[in-house]
Amino acid sequence: MAEETDLADIETFYDVMRRQGITRRSFMKYCALTASALGLGPAFVPKIAHAMETKPRTPVIWVHGLECTCCSESFIRSAHPLAKDVVLSMISLDYDDTLMAAAGHAAEAAMKDTIEKYKGNYILAVEGNPPLNEDGMFCISGGKPFVEKLKYAAKDAKAIISWGACASYGCVQAAKPNPTQATPVHKVITDKPIIKVPGCPPIAEVMTGVITYMLTFDRMPELDRQGRPAMFYGQRIHDKCYRRPHFDAGQFVEEWDDEGARKGYCLYKMGCKGPTTYNACSTVRWNEGVSFPIQSGHGCIGCSEDGFWDQGTFYDRVTDLTQFGVESNADQIGMAAAGVVGGGVAIHAAVSALKSAQSKAQTSPTPSSDKEA
Amino acid sequence: MTARSLVVGPFNRVEGDLEIRLEVEDGRVAAAFANAPLFRGFETMMLGKAPMDALTITPRICGICSISQSAAAAAALGAAAGQPQAAQGALATAIMHGVENLCDHLTHFNLFFCADFARPAYGGRDWHDRAVARFTAMEGSAVRACVEARAQILHIVGLLGGKWPHTLAIQPGGVTRAPTMRDRIRMTSTLSSFRRYLEDTLFGAPVEAFAELESAAALTTWETGDAGLFMQIAADLDLGRMGYGPGRYLSFGAYPLAQGRAFAAGLWENAMTRPVDTAEIREDLSHAWMHGDTTHPADGQTFPDEDMQDPAYSWCKAPRLAGQTIETGAFARQVVDGHPAAIDLATSGTTVLARVAGRLLEVARTQLLLESWVAALKPEERFMAEVSLPADGAGEGLVEAARGALGHWIRIEGGKIAGYQIVAPTTWNFSPRDATGTPGPVEAALVGAPVLPGEDTPLSVQHIVRSFDPCMVCTVH
Repeated sequence: MAEETDLADIETFYDVMRRQGITRRSFMKYCALTASALGLGPAFVPKIAHAMETKPRTPVIWVHGLECTCCSESFIRSAHPLAKDVVLSMISLDYDDTLMAAAGHAAEAAMKDTIEKYKGNYILAVEGNPPLNEDGMFCISGGKPFVEKLKYAAKDAKAIISWGACASYGCVQAAKPNPTQATPVHKVITDKPIIKVPGCPPIAEVMTGVITYMLTFDRMPELDRQGRPAMFYGQRIHDKCYRRPHFDAGQFVEEWDDEGARKGYCLYKMGCKGPTTYNACSTVRWNEGVSFPIQSGHGCIGCSEDGFWDQGTFYDRVTDLTQFGVESNADQIGMAAAGVVGGGVAIHAAVSALKSAQSKAQTSPTPSSDKEA
Repeated sequence: MTARSLVVGPFNRVEGDLEIRLEVEDGRVAAAFANAPLFRGFETMMLGKAPMDALTITPRICGICSISQSAAAAAALGAAAGQPQAAQGALATAIMHGVENLCDHLTHFNLFFCADFARPAYGGRDWHDRAVARFTAMEGSAVRACVEARAQILHIVGLLGGKWPHTLAIQPGGVTRAPTMRDRIRMTSTLSSFRRYLEDTLFGAPVEAFAELESAAALTTWETGDAGLFMQIAADLDLGRMGYGPGRYLSFGAYPLAQGRAFAAGLWENAMTRPVDTAEIREDLSHAWMHGDTTHPADGQTFPDEDMQDPAYSWCKAPRLAGQTIETGAFARQVVDGHPAAIDLATSGTTVLARVAGRLLEVARTQLLLESWVAALKPEERFMAEVSLPADGAGEGLVEAARGALGHWIRIEGGKIAGYQIVAPTTWNFSPRDATGTPGPVEAALVGAPVLPGEDTPLSVQHIVRSFDPCMVCTVH
């Protein structure tokens, strides 16, 4: 491939890892963990290992707009102790506002160098979003509106990752009246494949899983109609919630710290949005698999869904029972899960599928059907 | 005389965007202007929403100190309802908040601050090789150890709060989850492995030995662990005489428990501590791109000036206490709480060294507090008191974030939020000039900093600015 000759002088992922002092044994363990995190069978472990030994590492530019850095915070706390080391070293974060050493003009020069050196081959990871009011003056970076930095970095990117609810949908800073006109990335950059990894923040393992997948297989994972990776956003919190039996049995927490709360009853009546939220919290969980909001006795607020910040109060119960549709949706979800396995094998069309998916209506929370894969 | 003007920024390795304009004369900073070039408008968005939504929205001001915002919002709502948290709920809140503050200090020390000592400009100094090995951005061995230790101790927040960042469990009446005895045992073991990290890596000695240091001399000559490496560097670079603060230290008092605040509240000046009267706070808008008058935050409003007219130069308002600038943060907290080594340092002025040393002291003390708090958890007791919010009312929520005093002021009318104002620690420390032309604390601290010929991002300026651990997203919210 022409791409590989261009990148011939770049180290492989494995070279980078070795340089970071990661042992072969740890490396293989990492490949196995990655395969299982991505829902791929053991047969994929040697494939991932081979890809990482032979492929030049993919450069990543990570920029921050209007945001709170919770995505970075989540990312550097990913599950396996090795994962953050490996992923951090693997992507090398050629440019990262929050973590890099350089500052000021040196930092801007580093970004320009990275763009020129890896033209058309780097992944642009965006945390936060550009505010468009008043010509972008509410978020200035290096003397220019962030929207300009975003467009500049996006122009030569191979693909874009929209980290978190801010980049994907706008998040709380876009709450009415959206004073700064905070705007999600896909409304500003329309000519590049974009993968949305929503959540406030997204789960660390989801972030490392997505980025590992893209680096290993050199393509995007299968996406749902909203542009989210189906492998992590294919099921509702409610479907895999450990409190689900209490929902089915009609056992609910009625008020904070009551008898039902102590027994771990369902939080539906306390406003839990688990029934309408697609994310992996109830399976992958948070902070290295320790817990997730429902396990802490608080309902889900639906932070991976578009517009979660403007849906009435967070403590109102979900009333739209047609949207609820527990059983019928579960069937569709089963089909989508089957689609993920197929998606892992042959996903070459994902990028173009995404482009067509982007032009579709963004309202349906239904996971992707197999015609998109 | 030679004069030039410099714009330093973007500052990476700070939370959010920051730009500082410097006027340089004869190789020294003559004047500095701190600009927070980012504005999101949280205070405007809160209007008309249900009061309880503050618990979900305001923590999202910041992904690094979201528990601080969460605790302040819960405290403001609790104050409006006239109901404190259940005693055990307050304890669980303190544990989560203490863990977050501890993590913030470690992140600052290892990821944000010490990375500058690995710069090639310091090549040849006898500590440089060690600084490179330990603190190089993203690769240094201390950086990695810190990231790993932090992830581990955050299991405690995961356990009590379900997720971090943006935990939902803290409520006006307490916390949503009553920990079990099993959780308590698990947290105890997490804390003991964290203690091992602190003792092996950061202090190179028992945590108590560092926490109980009694004089500035003992603190600044500490030799072991990364704390010792920092003290060696600080002595060589004279960081103890760089970046003087205003000498007035504010703390709202950290960790409100049933028996009182674990770190005392107060205002320390000229070796005297007096109580803080929050009625003396005013937010001055003369140099902020904001319309409106100087007011107390309970009456404050947020109308951004979209034309960004002069003489304003920042989105940050300028809070003043009784008309004066104050410094807030871990060092201020330790001084106000009466830690002997901190007071000893404060008598010769707060500097880059003092701010970093204050954080290290607090790391040690917080570890000890956390251990005692976890031991005091009583799973059989109530963790949430019943709270009913008034349809009309107001509340003030005061907490101590890692970076200092944080206040939320809420006004409720007809069951909806009619006013919401936030004054964050960095709003105090990085405030612009006020109507009298008095510069904010960091602006004043930069005056006199050396700028070497050809330096575009002067190292002294980097050290001074970062010593405050700015959190710009909180500042302007």
